[in-house]
Amino acid sequence: MDGARVTKYSRNSACWIILLAASLVIGLPFYWAAITSLKSSAESAAWPPAWWPHHVEWGNIARTWNTAPFGQFFINSLVTSFSATALQVGCALTMAYAFAFLHFPGKRILFWMVLVTMMVPEEAKLVPNFVTLSKLDWIDTWWALIIPPAAHAFPVFVLHEHFKTLPRDVLDSAQIEGAGHLRVLTAIVLPMSAPIVAAVALVAFAGRWNDYLWPLIATNSERMRTLPVGLAYLQAGQEGGLQWNFLMMGAIFVIMPLFVLYFTLQRFFQQGLIRGAVKA
Amino acid sequence: MNPRREALTFVAFAAPNLLLFAVFNWWPIVYNACVSLTDWRLPADHGAYVGSANYRALMSDAQFWQVVANTFLYAGAVVIIAQSLAFVLALLLNRDMPGSRIFGAIAFTPYITTTAAAAIVWVLLLDPKIGPLAALYSALNVEGPYWLRDNRLALWAIIIVGAWKEIGIATLFFLAGMRNLPRDCYDAASLEGAGPWARLTRLTVPLMGPVILFIAVSGFVAAVKVFDAVAIMSEGGPSYPASSTFVYHLYATAFRDYRFGEGAALSMIFLLFMTAFAYGQFRLGRRWVHYGD
Repeated sequence: MDGARVTKYSRNSACWIILLAASLVIGLPFYWAAITSLKSSAESAAWPPAWWPHHVEWGNIARTWNTAPFGQFFINSLVTSFSATALQVGCALTMAYAFAFLHFPGKRILFWMVLVTMMVPEEAKLVPNFVTLSKLDWIDTWWALIIPPAAHAFPVFVLHEHFKTLPRDVLDSAQIEGAGHLRVLTAIVLPMSAPIVAAVALVAFAGRWNDYLWPLIATNSERMRTLPVGLAYLQAGQEGGLQWNFLMMGAIFVIMPLFVLYFTLQRFFQQGLIRGAVKA
Repeated sequence: MNPRREALTFVAFAAPNLLLFAVFNWWPIVYNACVSLTDWRLPADHGAYVGSANYRALMSDAQFWQVVANTFLYAGAVVIIAQSLAFVLALLLNRDMPGSRIFGAIAFTPYITTTAAAAIVWVLLLDPKIGPLAALYSALNVEGPYWLRDNRLALWAIIIVGAWKEIGIATLFFLAGMRNLPRDCYDAASLEGAGPWARLTRLTVPLMGPVILFIAVSGFVAAVKVFDAVAIMSEGGPSYPASSTFVYHLYATAFRDYRFGEGAALSMIFLLFMTAFAYGQFRLGRRWVHYGD
């Protein structure tokens, strides 16, 4: 008996150590970015590389913020990500409700067509959407970053699956009392589905925040850039003398908001991703 | 509610999304097909009809095939490396040891990290002179390679970034699958004296079969779309197309060289393959849904 317990204890310890080592390796880029961002310019390019800054330069935060219009980038990212997510989820809510609760001839065909859009990669629609936006004169405006990215169908399916599990009698009795479908959606279905809607919205928001390719194509002036694009231009513009400390600080500016969101709302994120994968 | 009113409500509720999809999802496919049959290049207003010339040019373009090979290599390597590690991680996390939540969260953070930002960090990490790898090289007394300046290594640098990002999400999915495994099989196996290795190879792996396949295909489909890291780390170089991938090649053709006709042809090819893959992924996913019940 004692031998078995000792073996189990040592096996558990070994597993724990492996997990710790894996976390350290996976987390190394974040650690290195953090310490480099707080080094002086000279030290960030020095050899051998230091594992802790000799002098922590908190002033780098302000300096980096001013080397490029990060404030503008931040506003662009925030406004467009939020608006695109609101638009996408809002449209998905009504469409999912329609598919789940309303009768319509040809509903199945429509459903299938919407499903197919999810299988077509966004990368294959770049040229046509760019041309469409040019004709609308939306290139280099917030519209370009809000409207086309909202045309993603994945929330429709997650919400549709969920709506089908809701108890019909609650909805039916509300209708008997004279409530129209819009009221049923907003007053009954939405509150009952709040966690799922939150999960889907979070995943969508993260996708918009991290978007690089589409904002790169859809904008061309500095004042319209989102955070990832702004950061990339900062890196490209430093061709000759890369100032790693400022670049790392810039990278932290870009990823920090999502980090905060993730660590506070972890369970919602994971829920949204798992449900999305099943329907993706 | 009478059927007519219901049908009208349906239309009203579905209309916003339908409009969005029509303009930005369905119309683009048709438009792409048409433009791919022209020789449209900016600054012209439109191109002349040239039939399948763009496609034939691509088939005989060595750069195109190099890009295709790179993309498959990238996606395969990322899936194999990241998901093998993720499976092991999931097994360890499934033991529910103290601190598992934190380890799981750390393993997952690369996935939500903006790829563009992460790529810049990795450029620093892989630098043979000033990154942490540099310290390792000097400790081992070797001359470290300059990954992004080496035609054979540049793509592998991008693969490393891709695998680093993929581990977390794959771990999450594997863990979810493992938590759904039937306990009674394991209890019976333990009673029969099966050790941990036997339980792993004879029970866990076979039972997880459909899940593993689904996650591998999903990972592959997602990996094929790689762009951000290529654009930031190597721009397909050092000598193009050593580390270029399909989406980057599409971007370079259409939005750097402004050859819209050829870009549309590339888009159609990508569309065909990806839709086929995604359909396969969808069918596999349905089995997961039932499997999880």
